[in-house]
Amino acid sequence: MPRVFVSSVIDAPAAKVWERVRDFNGLPRWHPRIRESRIENGEPADKVGCVRDFNLQNGDRIRERLLGLSDYDLFCTYSILESPMPLTGYVATLRLTPITDGDRTFAEWTAEFDCEEAMADDLVAGIGTNVFQAGFDALKRHFAR
Amino acid sequence: MVKIVKSTVMEAPVEAVWEVLRDFNGHDKWHPAVAESHVERGLPSDKIGCVRRFLLADGSELREQLLTLSDIDMAFTYCLLDTPIPLLNYVAHVRLIPVTDGDMTFWHWESRFDTPPGREAELEKQVGEKIYEGGFEAVRAYMGLAPRS
Repeated sequence: MPRVFVSSVIDAPAAKVWERVRDFNGLPRWHPRIRESRIENGEPADKVGCVRDFNLQNGDRIRERLLGLSDYDLFCTYSILESPMPLTGYVATLRLTPITDGDRTFAEWTAEFDCEEAMADDLVAGIGTNVFQAGFDALKRHFAR
Repeated sequence: MVKIVKSTVMEAPVEAVWEVLRDFNGHDKWHPAVAESHVERGLPSDKIGCVRRFLLADGSELREQLLTLSDIDMAFTYCLLDTPIPLLNYVAHVRLIPVTDGDMTFWHWESRFDTPPGREAELEKQVGEKIYEGGFEAVRAYMGLAPRS
Protein backbone atom coordinates (compact mmCIF):
# COMPACT_ATOMS: atom_id res chain seq x y z
CA MET A 1 0.00 0.00 0.00
CA PRO A 2 1.63 3.29 -1.10
CA ARG A 3 2.29 5.73 1.71
CA VAL A 4 3.00 9.45 1.61
CA PHE A 5 4.84 11.10 4.48
CA VAL A 6 5.77 14.78 4.55
CA SER A 7 6.82 16.71 7.63
CA SER A 8 7.99 20.20 8.37
CA VAL A 9 8.77 22.74 11.06
CA ILE A 10 6.59 25.84 11.28
CA ASP A 11 7.87 28.76 13.26
CA ALA A 12 4.71 29.44 15.29
CA PRO A 13 3.07 27.89 18.37
CA ALA A 14 1.04 24.75 17.62
CA ALA A 15 -2.16 26.39 18.86
CA LYS A 16 -1.78 29.16 16.27
CA VAL A 17 -1.10 26.74 13.43
CA TRP A 18 -4.00 24.56 14.54
CA GLU A 19 -6.31 27.57 14.53
CA ARG A 20 -5.44 28.00 10.86
CA VAL A 21 -5.84 24.38 9.73
CA ARG A 22 -8.55 22.89 11.96
CA ASP A 23 -11.48 24.19 9.87
CA PHE A 24 -12.33 21.26 7.58
CA ASN A 25 -14.01 23.79 5.27
CA GLY A 26 -11.13 26.26 5.44
CA LEU A 27 -8.64 24.95 2.84
CA PRO A 28 -9.14 27.92 0.47
CA ARG A 29 -8.04 30.27 3.26
CA TRP A 30 -4.65 28.64 3.75
CA HIS A 31 -3.85 26.18 0.96
CA PRO A 32 -2.83 27.86 -2.32
CA ARG A 33 -4.08 25.03 -4.52
CA ILE A 34 -7.66 25.12 -3.27
CA ARG A 35 -10.11 27.60 -4.77
CA GLU A 36 -13.40 27.00 -3.02
CA SER A 37 -14.93 24.61 -0.55
CA ARG A 38 -18.30 23.87 0.99
CA ILE A 39 -19.64 21.37 3.49
CA GLU A 40 -22.50 19.24 2.22
CA ASN A 41 -25.96 19.29 3.79
CA GLY A 42 -25.22 22.45 5.78
CA GLU A 43 -23.42 20.51 8.49
CA PRO A 44 -20.86 22.13 10.78
CA ALA A 45 -17.27 21.65 9.57
CA ASP A 46 -16.22 20.07 12.86
CA LYS A 47 -18.94 17.44 12.86
CA VAL A 48 -17.15 14.13 12.39
CA GLY A 49 -18.61 12.46 9.32
CA CYS A 50 -19.26 15.70 7.42
CA VAL A 51 -18.24 15.89 3.76
CA ARG A 52 -16.32 18.73 2.12
CA ASP A 53 -16.73 19.35 -1.59
CA PHE A 54 -13.96 21.51 -2.96
CA ASN A 55 -12.32 22.63 -6.19
CA LEU A 56 -8.65 22.98 -6.95
CA GLN A 57 -7.34 26.02 -8.82
CA ASN A 58 -7.22 23.81 -11.95
CA GLY A 59 -10.92 23.03 -11.60
CA ASP A 60 -10.58 19.46 -10.35
CA ARG A 61 -13.27 18.53 -7.85
CA ILE A 62 -12.67 16.44 -4.74
CA ARG A 63 -15.05 15.24 -2.03
CA GLU A 64 -13.64 14.16 1.32
CA ARG A 65 -15.16 12.88 4.55
CA LEU A 66 -13.97 13.96 7.99
CA LEU A 67 -13.12 10.78 9.94
CA GLY A 68 -11.51 12.21 13.05
CA LEU A 69 -10.73 15.60 14.55
CA SER A 70 -8.99 16.28 17.85
CA ASP A 71 -8.46 19.67 19.46
CA TYR A 72 -6.51 17.85 22.18
CA ASP A 73 -4.09 15.87 20.01
CA LEU A 74 -4.21 18.39 17.14
CA PHE A 75 -4.95 16.06 14.27
CA CYS A 76 -7.45 15.73 11.47
CA THR A 77 -8.10 12.47 9.58
CA TYR A 78 -10.13 12.25 6.40
CA SER A 79 -10.82 10.01 3.44
CA ILE A 80 -11.38 10.72 -0.25
CA LEU A 81 -14.85 9.88 -1.52
CA GLU A 82 -14.44 11.23 -5.06
CA SER A 83 -11.46 12.62 -6.96
CA PRO A 84 -9.92 12.59 -10.43
CA MET A 85 -6.93 10.64 -9.08
CA PRO A 86 -6.74 6.91 -9.96
CA LEU A 87 -6.72 5.68 -6.36
CA THR A 88 -9.01 4.08 -3.81
CA GLY A 89 -9.08 3.70 -0.06
CA TYR A 90 -7.31 7.01 0.50
CA VAL A 91 -7.03 8.01 4.17
CA ALA A 92 -4.88 10.94 5.28
CA THR A 93 -3.97 12.58 8.58
CA LEU A 94 -2.63 16.05 9.24
CA ARG A 95 -1.08 16.24 12.70
CA LEU A 96 0.61 19.00 14.67
CA THR A 97 2.92 18.50 17.65
CA PRO A 98 4.38 21.32 19.73
CA ILE A 99 8.16 21.70 19.68
CA THR A 100 8.80 22.86 23.23
CA ASP A 101 12.26 24.11 22.31
CA GLY A 102 11.42 27.47 20.69
CA ASP A 103 7.61 27.16 20.86
CA ARG A 104 7.41 25.97 17.25
CA THR A 105 5.33 23.31 15.53
CA PHE A 106 6.22 19.94 14.05
CA ALA A 107 3.69 19.25 11.28
CA GLU A 108 3.17 15.81 9.73
CA TRP A 109 0.91 14.90 6.86
CA THR A 110 0.51 11.24 5.96
CA ALA A 111 -1.66 9.31 3.55
CA GLU A 112 -2.20 5.71 2.52
CA PHE A 113 -4.15 4.45 -0.46
CA ASP A 114 -4.47 1.70 -3.05
CA CYS A 115 -3.73 2.11 -6.75
CA GLU A 116 -2.27 0.33 -9.74
CA GLU A 117 1.35 -0.41 -9.03
CA ALA A 118 2.58 1.50 -12.06
CA MET A 119 0.86 4.67 -10.82
CA ALA A 120 2.12 4.53 -7.25
CA ASP A 121 5.35 6.53 -7.52
CA ASP A 122 3.74 9.39 -9.44
CA LEU A 123 0.80 9.57 -7.05
CA VAL A 124 3.02 9.53 -3.97
CA ALA A 125 5.27 12.25 -5.42
CA GLY A 126 2.36 14.36 -6.66
CA ILE A 127 0.38 14.28 -3.42
CA GLY A 128 3.51 14.77 -1.32
CA THR A 129 4.74 17.75 -3.30
CA ASN A 130 1.63 19.50 -4.61
CA VAL A 131 -0.69 18.97 -1.70
CA PHE A 132 1.25 18.31 1.52
CA GLN A 133 4.52 20.20 0.99
CA ALA A 134 2.70 23.04 -0.80
CA GLY A 135 0.42 23.36 2.21
CA PHE A 136 3.34 23.42 4.64
CA ASP A 137 5.17 25.97 2.48
CA ALA A 138 2.11 28.22 2.61
CA LEU A 139 1.93 27.86 6.41
CA LYS A 140 5.65 28.62 6.72
CA ARG A 141 5.22 31.77 4.62
CA HIS A 142 2.18 32.85 6.62
CA PHE A 143 3.90 32.40 9.97
CA ALA A 144 7.37 33.65 8.98
CA ARG A 145 8.61 35.80 11.87
CA MET B 1 1.26 12.53 38.55
CA VAL B 2 3.69 14.80 36.74
CA LYS B 3 3.84 14.72 32.97
CA ILE B 4 6.81 16.19 31.14
CA VAL B 5 7.06 16.71 27.40
CA LYS B 6 10.14 18.21 25.82
CA SER B 7 10.89 18.28 22.12
CA THR B 8 13.34 19.78 19.71
CA VAL B 9 14.56 19.67 16.14
CA MET B 10 18.03 18.31 15.43
CA GLU B 11 19.71 19.54 12.27
CA ALA B 12 20.78 16.05 11.25
CA PRO B 13 19.14 13.14 9.40
CA VAL B 14 16.99 10.91 11.57
CA GLU B 15 19.17 7.85 10.94
CA ALA B 16 22.20 9.63 12.38
CA VAL B 17 20.35 10.74 15.53
CA TRP B 18 18.84 7.29 15.99
CA GLU B 19 22.28 5.69 15.75
CA VAL B 20 23.30 7.76 18.79
CA LEU B 21 20.11 7.28 20.83
CA ARG B 22 19.28 3.64 20.17
CA ASP B 23 22.22 2.36 22.23
CA PHE B 24 20.59 2.00 25.64
CA ASN B 25 24.08 1.55 27.08
CA GLY B 26 25.62 4.53 25.29
CA HIS B 27 24.13 7.51 27.08
CA ASP B 28 27.30 8.01 29.13
CA LYS B 29 29.00 8.98 25.88
CA TRP B 30 26.94 12.13 25.57
CA HIS B 31 24.86 12.96 28.66
CA PRO B 32 26.72 15.18 31.13
CA ALA B 33 24.74 13.78 34.08
CA VAL B 34 25.96 10.22 33.39
CA ALA B 35 29.54 9.32 34.23
CA GLU B 36 29.41 5.59 33.44
CA SER B 37 26.88 3.14 32.07
CA HIS B 38 26.80 -0.60 31.90
CA VAL B 39 24.15 -3.21 31.24
CA GLU B 40 23.65 -5.77 33.97
CA ARG B 41 24.34 -9.47 33.50
CA GLY B 42 26.22 -8.84 30.27
CA LEU B 43 23.03 -8.58 28.25
CA PRO B 44 23.05 -6.81 24.89
CA SER B 45 21.75 -3.25 25.20
CA ASP B 46 19.04 -3.85 22.60
CA LYS B 47 17.55 -6.82 24.46
CA ILE B 48 14.14 -5.83 25.76
CA GLY B 49 14.09 -6.08 29.52
CA CYS B 50 17.79 -5.37 29.97
CA VAL B 51 18.76 -3.11 32.87
CA ARG B 52 21.30 -0.34 32.62
CA ARG B 53 23.12 0.94 35.65
CA PHE B 54 24.28 4.53 35.59
CA LEU B 55 26.95 5.99 37.77
CA LEU B 56 25.93 9.64 37.83
CA ALA B 57 28.33 12.55 37.77
CA ASP B 58 27.56 13.22 41.45
CA GLY B 59 28.56 9.68 42.44
CA SER B 60 25.06 8.26 42.97
CA GLU B 61 23.66 5.34 40.98
CA LEU B 62 20.44 4.65 39.18
CA ARG B 63 19.02 1.64 37.34
CA GLU B 64 16.67 1.75 34.39
CA GLN B 65 14.98 -1.02 32.43
CA LEU B 66 14.39 -1.06 28.68
CA LEU B 67 10.69 -1.73 28.06
CA THR B 68 10.37 -1.08 24.32
CA LEU B 69 12.80 -0.55 21.47
CA SER B 70 11.67 -0.10 17.89
CA ASP B 71 13.96 0.52 14.92
CA ILE B 72 10.98 0.97 12.61
CA ASP B 73 9.41 3.66 14.79
CA MET B 74 12.76 4.93 16.05
CA ALA B 75 11.44 4.89 19.58
CA PHE B 76 12.21 3.44 22.98
CA THR B 77 10.57 3.31 26.38
CA TYR B 78 12.20 2.76 29.74
CA CYS B 79 11.37 2.89 33.41
CA LEU B 80 13.32 3.71 36.54
CA LEU B 81 13.98 0.87 38.96
CA ASP B 82 16.27 2.47 41.55
CA THR B 83 16.99 6.15 41.76
CA PRO B 84 18.67 8.58 44.13
CA ILE B 85 16.05 11.23 43.30
CA PRO B 86 12.47 10.44 44.31
CA LEU B 87 10.85 9.82 40.93
CA LEU B 88 8.23 7.13 41.47
CA ASN B 89 6.51 5.06 38.78
CA TYR B 90 8.71 6.83 36.25
CA VAL B 91 8.19 5.77 32.63
CA ALA B 92 9.73 7.70 29.75
CA HIS B 93 9.30 7.56 25.98
CA VAL B 94 11.76 8.77 23.37
CA ARG B 95 10.70 9.03 19.75
CA LEU B 96 12.35 10.37 16.60
CA ILE B 97 10.42 11.42 13.49
CA PRO B 98 11.99 12.58 10.23
CA VAL B 99 11.48 16.18 9.14
CA THR B 100 11.32 15.54 5.40
CA ASP B 101 11.35 19.25 4.62
CA GLY B 102 15.05 19.85 5.35
CA ASP B 103 16.29 16.33 6.27
CA MET B 104 16.22 17.05 10.00
CA THR B 105 14.90 15.18 13.02
CA PHE B 106 12.02 15.86 15.42
CA TRP B 107 12.96 14.48 18.84
CA HIS B 108 10.16 13.97 21.35
CA TRP B 109 10.95 12.97 24.96
CA GLU B 110 8.17 12.55 27.47
CA SER B 111 7.62 10.94 30.84
CA ARG B 112 5.17 10.51 33.67
CA PHE B 113 6.02 10.00 37.31
CA ASP B 114 4.88 10.54 40.88
CA THR B 115 6.81 12.45 43.49
CA PRO B 116 6.62 12.92 47.23
CA PRO B 117 3.91 15.51 47.99
CA GLY B 118 4.99 19.08 47.35
CA ARG B 119 8.04 18.27 45.22
CA GLU B 120 6.25 18.11 41.86
CA ALA B 121 7.41 21.46 40.48
CA GLU B 122 11.01 21.08 41.63
CA LEU B 123 11.41 17.60 40.15
CA GLU B 124 9.56 18.51 36.96
CA LYS B 125 12.03 21.34 36.43
CA GLN B 126 15.03 19.18 37.26
CA VAL B 127 14.08 16.36 34.89
CA GLY B 128 12.79 18.61 32.11
CA GLU B 129 15.70 21.01 32.07
CA LYS B 130 18.73 19.07 33.30
CA ILE B 131 17.95 15.67 31.83
CA TYR B 132 15.88 16.33 28.71
CA GLU B 133 16.88 19.80 27.53
CA GLY B 134 20.42 19.13 28.75
CA GLY B 135 20.34 15.89 26.77
CA PHE B 136 19.27 17.68 23.58
CA GLU B 137 22.22 20.04 23.84
CA ALA B 138 24.61 17.23 24.78
CA VAL B 139 23.66 15.17 21.72
CA ARG B 140 24.08 18.26 19.55
CA ALA B 141 27.58 18.70 20.92
CA TYR B 142 28.35 14.97 20.62
CA MET B 143 27.24 14.98 16.97
CA GLY B 144 29.13 18.17 16.20
CA LEU B 145 25.96 20.16 15.53
CA ALA B 146 25.64 23.85 16.28
CA PRO B 147 24.03 24.62 19.66
CA ARG B 148 20.44 25.83 19.47
CA SER B 149 20.55 29.62 19.60
